[in-house]
Amino acid sequence: MAIVYFPKPKGVRSPDRPAGSLLLAQVKHLREAEKSLPPKYHSGIFSHAVETEDEAARYVRAVTEAIHDAHDDAAAARARKAAKRKKVVEMAAMADETAGGKKRSKKAKNTRAKKGRRR
Amino acid sequence: MATGLDRLQHIVVLMMENRSFDHMLGSLKAVNPAIDGYVDSDTFTNPDANNTPVKPQALAEFQGQLNPDPDHHFPAVDVQIFGGTTGAGRTANMQGFVTSYFHQQEDVGHSQKIMYYFKQSDLPVLTTLALEFAVFNRWFASIPGPTICNRAFAHYGTSFGRVDMDPFDVIAPIKSIYTRMITANPKRSAKVYYYDTSSSSMEVANLLQHQTEQFGTYPQFLSDCGKGLLPKYSFIEPNYSDHDTDEGEAIASDQHPDHDVQEGEKLIAEVYTHIKNSPLWPNTALLIVYDEHGGIFDHVPPPPCPKDTFHSSQIDPGTGQPFQFDRLGVRVPAILVSPWIEAGTVVDRVFDHASIPATVTKFFLGGYPNVSLREQNAAVFIEPNDGSGNMANNLLSLDTMRTDCPDFQMNN
Repeated sequence: MAIVYFPKPKGVRSPDRPAGSLLLAQVKHLREAEKSLPPKYHSGIFSHAVETEDEAARYVRAVTEAIHDAHDDAAAARARKAAKRKKVVEMAAMADETAGGKKRSKKAKNTRAKKGRRR
Repeated sequence: MATGLDRLQHIVVLMMENRSFDHMLGSLKAVNPAIDGYVDSDTFTNPDANNTPVKPQALAEFQGQLNPDPDHHFPAVDVQIFGGTTGAGRTANMQGFVTSYFHQQEDVGHSQKIMYYFKQSDLPVLTTLALEFAVFNRWFASIPGPTICNRAFAHYGTSFGRVDMDPFDVIAPIKSIYTRMITANPKRSAKVYYYDTSSSSMEVANLLQHQTEQFGTYPQFLSDCGKGLLPKYSFIEPNYSDHDTDEGEAIASDQHPDHDVQEGEKLIAEVYTHIKNSPLWPNTALLIVYDEHGGIFDHVPPPPCPKDTFHSSQIDPGTGQPFQFDRLGVRVPAILVSPWIEAGTVVDRVFDHASIPATVTKFFLGGYPNVSLREQNAAVFIEPNDGSGNMANNLLSLDTMRTDCPDFQMNN
């Protein structure tokens, strides 16, 4: 089929356009989400003052990134905790093994000794 | 034989904003009479404030015409659908669009612009896809109301009784389509691709806030597409605002009034072209759909439907009556694209956004125990390929893959 040509958009970028009801609703949803984040992730932006699309976008970006950062940090913390737990378990297992190994070697020594006596 | 279905591995949904079927695709009736649009000889009108009948006219402009944003909240849509009549036994007559828009500015001339539609030549991307693949004559918004609750139907198959823009709570045991997919055994991949972090998602309260791993950006979608690494199910959100980015400037592409409609055309062409040029083209179906009509005219009355599991409070709809979710919203454009669909396909069955999780669930998971009543009753646009599908409704019905699908190129 032939190529279908479409015009390059001629719309003028208007970041100062007043934010519509959809963007303001999104800001409201993000404000609620931001409240549940630990304070260190708060944007410091007074979202009630958002009036333009660009202001809305700045707030949307700040909180979206904060949500991702908070989740990433929590996941990393969980991974560190799990690694630490694993390390402790491994150390305990190694300690057990070492203790068991010593016993075994003592036992083996005795066995060897007994065997030697038998001979 | 169902070769297209046998090959299908990926479903992609691109959900645009706030345009009605007649406004965007109505002109196609002149090209294909099976498409239920609008031609000049039709008699559909709306009365203006002087009670003068206003005909639809092909005078829609890309930007600067529908300002202020036409009201599309529940009470306004009620006026648009029922022409301002209230009480039991009323009939949907689609007579209130001009009246509703007049209420916003009390300007008779301006209120008539709500009846404007685009010529076919204005929208070469959307109209070409509609004519070349499958266009839905009866895809309705899920609720006669605004964006957030309608988009909820696309993600959850319900809005949990909400008819407004406020954050909503997910009510057990209903789960999002993404959770259903990733907790399945075997796990199925699913992702929401928002445009960028400055545009983000409209599903903040539940998905973004609690399941960040389910999100990617639009550039990641393009990259995943090119590498043949798309998830089984992808949902794309357009850019909702004009804003600065680290790479430069971004212009809203959602087509929400009063954003530039041509930016949306460019986005649709880009999504289609990336899928078509990817190794996944034979295995992917793309649904392009609009979340709701945005207050703009359409001539087809939304039909009643079975009630949902949830209903609204008496106060929320703003009409003095609780809403049982027993009527669909206004008709929106919807197009299904795949190289296994015959050109010129027109679908007359009734769909709404609950059809999205219903289709994805049935196709990839076979079923799911806890879905809303609305989702249970929603039609699927891709038949399940496990023997339970109705092959008479299969749209990916060609025996051999098409090689004549259109390509798009932007003029400079």
